[in-house]
Amino acid sequence: MAEAKARVGIIANPVSARDIRRVIANASNLQITDRANIVLRLLAGLRVFGIERVLMMPENGGIRGHVLRGLRQANNQGDGRFPAVDTLDMAVTSTVDDTCRAARLMCEAGVAVIVVLGGDGTHRAVASACGGVPIAGVSTGTNNAFPEHREPTITGLAAGIIAAGLVPDDVAFQRNKWLELSLGTRREIALVDIAVVAERYVGARAIWRVEKFRELFVAFAQPDAIGMSAIAGLIDAVGRGELEGRHLVFGPVACAAHVIRAPIAPGLVKTVGVASCGRLVPDEPHAIGVEAGSIALDGEREVTFGKEDRPSVTLRVDAVRTVDVAATMKFAARRGLFRTHQLHTSVEEFATKGGK
Amino acid sequence: MTDNPFPLSRDNLLKAYRTMKTIREFEDRLHVDFAEGEIPGFVHLYAGEEASAAGIMMHLNDNDRIASTHRGHGHCIAKGVDVKAMMSEIYGKSTGACRGKGGSMHIADLSKGMMGANGILGAGAPLACGAALAAKKLGHGGIGISFVGDGASNQGMFLESLNLAAVWDLPVVFVVENNGYAESTSVDWAVACDSYVDRATGFGLPGVTVDGTDFFAVYETAGEVIKRAREGGGPSLLECKMIRFHGHFEGDAQTYRAEGEVDDHRANRDCIKNFRGRVTEAGVIAGGELDAIDREIASLIDASVEEAIAAPLPGAADLTTDVYVSY
Repeated sequence: MAEAKARVGIIANPVSARDIRRVIANASNLQITDRANIVLRLLAGLRVFGIERVLMMPENGGIRGHVLRGLRQANNQGDGRFPAVDTLDMAVTSTVDDTCRAARLMCEAGVAVIVVLGGDGTHRAVASACGGVPIAGVSTGTNNAFPEHREPTITGLAAGIIAAGLVPDDVAFQRNKWLELSLGTRREIALVDIAVVAERYVGARAIWRVEKFRELFVAFAQPDAIGMSAIAGLIDAVGRGELEGRHLVFGPVACAAHVIRAPIAPGLVKTVGVASCGRLVPDEPHAIGVEAGSIALDGEREVTFGKEDRPSVTLRVDAVRTVDVAATMKFAARRGLFRTHQLHTSVEEFATKGGK
Repeated sequence: MTDNPFPLSRDNLLKAYRTMKTIREFEDRLHVDFAEGEIPGFVHLYAGEEASAAGIMMHLNDNDRIASTHRGHGHCIAKGVDVKAMMSEIYGKSTGACRGKGGSMHIADLSKGMMGANGILGAGAPLACGAALAAKKLGHGGIGISFVGDGASNQGMFLESLNLAAVWDLPVVFVVENNGYAESTSVDWAVACDSYVDRATGFGLPGVTVDGTDFFAVYETAGEVIKRAREGGGPSLLECKMIRFHGHFEGDAQTYRAEGEVDDHRANRDCIKNFRGRVTEAGVIAGGELDAIDREIASLIDASVEEAIAAPLPGAADLTTDVYVSY
């Protein structure tokens, strides 16, 4: 009998959340063994609805080793609560490139969902390369404005329900905006924010020197967020579902229209001056007004520019789909999916039996 | 020339280039001369790793003390030790930094805050803690920096030093220069906790990982951890992920490396080539200026070798000098 095809991919890159924000702020450092435990909890959730195989990104940071040890120990005890784990056949660079390559390969392998461990940066990398495959985010990064904070077992259950075809797409998935950066011939995306800073080198990547902040574009901004988007969220919030974003221009505190204290990184609340805060409407390129500097995508400097590069930012709606764990679980509960072991009922079958 | 987009002045950019290039020329020359059989003992070369030494040492002064490793030439040069005295030391001559009695793995110059390369793996860490404790007690604002490799980071001395630094809140930075191999053993195989940031966290100090082949990433990150230590913010760990261009020691057949691995590193991740590209493309420094520095360095290294070869060996009467200390 042919082996079942993996319907779920898991990307856990050990190189995420290791940057300078652990020193300049008090950003968290989720240890490798904790990350492996999160993967095991995801796997336990996934298995409940019949997921037999899962595809994982290879890495040399130790996560997979600890996961495989957990699987082996469970097998030794005759415990069948985990699906089998296959590893993508790809070279490991121990950089964010691995995340992008794995997302691309999982898309080609036809997975229904990619579960991602990381913060905004890792989710950005997956979204840029996953070819529209929905993302189930598990928040393990530095800034976590994009992925929600949730117990991974539940994320695994929801991803399993979706991969098993037990929930319709309009319930399972949320549509998200993103920001597109155009810089010469280069195209980049950001899921939460694009910040323009005066420093014209990438260096340690993180941004924290408020006197260097020049402009900020946000796809969404919540008052209770962490990171750059919090600045917009505290002035004029905009939700994930709203069809607009925000564009802020920073200015000296002495003559700014808004002077606010904002949590720009974990443990780092800084006073910033904002000269203006306006709407960003979809599909209209917005030129960056600063002549030269560097651009941080979802919190990390990625690229420098000069005036000849003429960078611009465009808000796109309906750009990337994410798993709506709460809605999926609510649907599953109402349909009684957790009431029985006979769980292989498709949405269509369910409808023919009169279920609603 | 356009305005300078980098976090260093033009003079300091030139200084950083000169430091890195001096290390590279020094090591590449030793690579050639060692094969001729002229040099006693062992040498472990730092070529490929220059951005770490230069990016860190740019933030230090002579009050700051560093404890180096068996792969210490780059640290010595970046800390300001005289290149000719280093070369003579490696040749075992009486004009050497330690009068020819230390050799490659024991070059020291306390006047520059260089407490010594060290042939004992991990042994620099407690020395850096001692220097940091002295700086704290004397209140002169100095700090201690310990360099270790990925292999030595598994040594008890190093781990005990992390604990000591944390409990005494010492102004010290532990730099783990992770070049992927402990001699010939892959870091993936030999370091159980997998992440040096995790390891630091386990001892109660923050850790940060940086691309050690990117001078500007090292410079900016090192600036923050050093400032933190200097201002009383406590110890931290800085992991520089890097590449060595040569073997563990000269003569190492490097059968543990993938075919083409070093070629790829030299082509794409050469810290000096990348630094040169960035400062010239930004229009801050002309290629011709850097070429002139290259020529000066080549002459310096040539002269260092010539003088080292011509210098006398230590005499029998030197056997017991500088060995015992009178209190």
